[in-house]
Amino acid sequence: MKGIVFNLLEEAIRQEHGEDVWDALLDHTELEGAYTSLGNYPDEHLMKLVGAASDMLRKPAGEIIRWFGCKSLSLFAERYPHFFNDHQSTRPFLLALNSIIHPEVRKFYPGADVPDFQFDTSSEEILIMQYYSKRKLCAFAEGLIQGTATYYREQLTIEHSKCMHRGDPHCELRISLQRLS
Amino acid sequence: MATQEMPRTDSEVLKRRIERERKARLSAEAIAERGMRQLYQKQQEVELLRQVAAAANEAQTIEDAMQVAVDRVCSYTGWPVGHAYILAQDSSRQLVSSVWHLKSPERFATLRKISNNTIFTTGVGLPGRVLASGSPAWIVDVTKDNNFPRAKLAQDIGVRAAFGFPVLIGKEVVAVLEFFSDTPREPDEPLLEAMAHIGTQLGRVIERKRYEEKLIHNAFHDSLTQLPNRALFLERLAQALARAKRRKNYLFAVLFLDLDRFKLVNDSMGHSVGDGLIREIGEILQQGLRAGDTVARLGGDEYAILLDDIGQASHTSRAVERIRRNLESTLTFDRIFVSASIGIALSSTGYERPEEILRDADIAMYRAKSQGRGLSVVFNANMHEQAVKLLYLESDLKRALDRQEFCLHYQPIVSLTTGGIAGFEGLIRWQHPNRGLVPPGDFIPVAEESELILPITQWALNEASVQLRKWKEQFQHCPISVSVNLNTKYFTKRNFLSEIVALIARNGFDPCSLKLEITESQIMERAESMSKILVELDNFGIKVYVDDFGTGYSSLSYLSKFRVHAIKVDRSFVSNLGNDERNSTIVRTIIALGHQLGLNVIAEGIETEKQLQFLLEEGCQHGQGYYFSKPVPEAKAVELIRANGFSELIPPPLLQSFPS
Repeated sequence: MKGIVFNLLEEAIRQEHGEDVWDALLDHTELEGAYTSLGNYPDEHLMKLVGAASDMLRKPAGEIIRWFGCKSLSLFAERYPHFFNDHQSTRPFLLALNSIIHPEVRKFYPGADVPDFQFDTSSEEILIMQYYSKRKLCAFAEGLIQGTATYYREQLTIEHSKCMHRGDPHCELRISLQRLS
Repeated sequence: MATQEMPRTDSEVLKRRIERERKARLSAEAIAERGMRQLYQKQQEVELLRQVAAAANEAQTIEDAMQVAVDRVCSYTGWPVGHAYILAQDSSRQLVSSVWHLKSPERFATLRKISNNTIFTTGVGLPGRVLASGSPAWIVDVTKDNNFPRAKLAQDIGVRAAFGFPVLIGKEVVAVLEFFSDTPREPDEPLLEAMAHIGTQLGRVIERKRYEEKLIHNAFHDSLTQLPNRALFLERLAQALARAKRRKNYLFAVLFLDLDRFKLVNDSMGHSVGDGLIREIGEILQQGLRAGDTVARLGGDEYAILLDDIGQASHTSRAVERIRRNLESTLTFDRIFVSASIGIALSSTGYERPEEILRDADIAMYRAKSQGRGLSVVFNANMHEQAVKLLYLESDLKRALDRQEFCLHYQPIVSLTTGGIAGFEGLIRWQHPNRGLVPPGDFIPVAEESELILPITQWALNEASVQLRKWKEQFQHCPISVSVNLNTKYFTKRNFLSEIVALIARNGFDPCSLKLEITESQIMERAESMSKILVELDNFGIKVYVDDFGTGYSSLSYLSKFRVHAIKVDRSFVSNLGNDERNSTIVRTIIALGHQLGLNVIAEGIETEKQLQFLLEEGCQHGQGYYFSKPVPEAKAVELIRANGFSELIPPPLLQSFPS
């Protein structure tokens, strides 16, 4: 897992819950907490932190991850505005993930294990997005999508119609968006 | 310096310090990220250039290299369309579509079609701009560009940004590559710099390939005419032979064509005129042949033609007729009429190797040539046997020179009035170890065909000179002369004159004792150059006899200008004297003509008293022939001088001079 993810999590927790919560999470998980965006860290660090946050905030882990995804997106947008400026709404942004955004991410984080999404664009109303990753971070993806919709001021309805956590071979997200007036 | 309110508590101090550290870390990370990104991009660029360079080195064709470059640039940039044009090598300066990379062939099908059908020359559209400037060009949005003929189409299929760059050999644009993106893009200078490297790499491929093509072309083509050469002709023949083996009724013919009197053109008008003639004939030969036929120049004035799949043998004679007509209607070179001798070999004879059929066509050509000018002869097996015989004869002749198997015999030239000996004609004899004495007619023509005539002539001149020295010592007051037959080939030797002069000096005889006999037809064949040579010989006091007079193509006006000293009436006229009144008239005329020009007239081949009487009545003063003596060895010649006495050959008084 790339250090940037831990930086984002720290940032999100600090902004939303205060520095003490982040310190407490580190104490609780007995992790050192010195992450740099350029480093690589074990995936289980993230799982431990999410687990600890779930206990401490009394929320299911999935919800924590979804919240984290949503929060990360706005931090991304602050840090890398040009990815967002190229598009006017969520759908084209999502469609550019595979071809433009993830390849760019790989450029400054060599070896970043970003997922490949499959899209079904046959419907104008519903964008069907397939996700597969051994990390099974579909909730994080969901949160990121939510964050994107918020960024572009769109109303998102997302149906997690298939999920690896429910035994499906991959996750399927059915996404519909409506512009907020 | 502005004063700041100091933090009140330690904890606030610490917080501020931590915040500073965090900012420093974030900033360091951002710098590192930018560095990583640049490094990544540089690596990608290096990889792209490495791939293109590798492809450039390995590419079998220019198209292969172009395809790799177009594919790699598209994958590097993520742009969906790449296209390469190659500049036509003719004068049109048109860019010709070569290879494409299309991410979605259906979506870009019309772009491909329209690009292929648009004529891009200098300045036209994106590729034309690159061609004109020799540098890359970037268009942010082609639909808003005013020099983009495909703008309407681009609008329809969603093509926006474009860039193009040249493939250069030195400063010369030889190809142009163009790429298209889905979205408008601002110019990317580093990208264009990388593309410039690719342009140089591809330029090397094209340069190398063109050089290779040129080398291959040169290896298989004659540089003067650009026609296929012998190597390529033999290859085409091999293909035709292979076809002949596969297909039952398949027939082809090989024509071997050699110009008549080409040497004359070269000698009298210079090599540049000769080269022009060779080129022109190459063009003429190509006219009227079918696409499958091949005309090749084998070297010198020799051409070969492969008439492919002729159906039946009679097609060949029609083709030969056509070639002859084309040659005749075109080629009259400054009063010299150029014709060609053609030998024909047909595949029906059954050949295994291409060299064999070409060789037989060559043999047939020689046969045609020996029968006169402008003729064609079809090869038959007898000719091969004869050619082989001639080949043996040629090698025998070479040996004969080394082993000194030649000797000179001497036939006296006699004063018809006194019977005294005026001189001798030196005649070469070949004492063959197996065949005995070989008459000159059996080997001199062969020697004349090859270069062997030169050493043989040299030998004869030398032998005659040695003899003249001996006779000078033996018969001090009687300047006995010896004449030697020369082929005009001898005069093409660079130092022939100094060689003769050296011989005379070495042997210490009077130059006028050595007479050179040259046939009338040979003199006339190269009248211009011979005229000069005769003057030079005369200046040295060397006398020239015109041999076989009356048989050749005589130009009386030329004869009057030539510095010659005697004409020898051909034996065919003399031997027919008395049988044919018209023949007698000719001899009478020749004698009168010779006397009028102040020339001695020597009648050859006198065999009877009757012939002698006629000649005496007509005032002919000298003659030779079996009536007096056959050609005899040296010792016998000396006896003849002793028996008959000496009678100097003095020119008759000049009766009437012609303007010179």
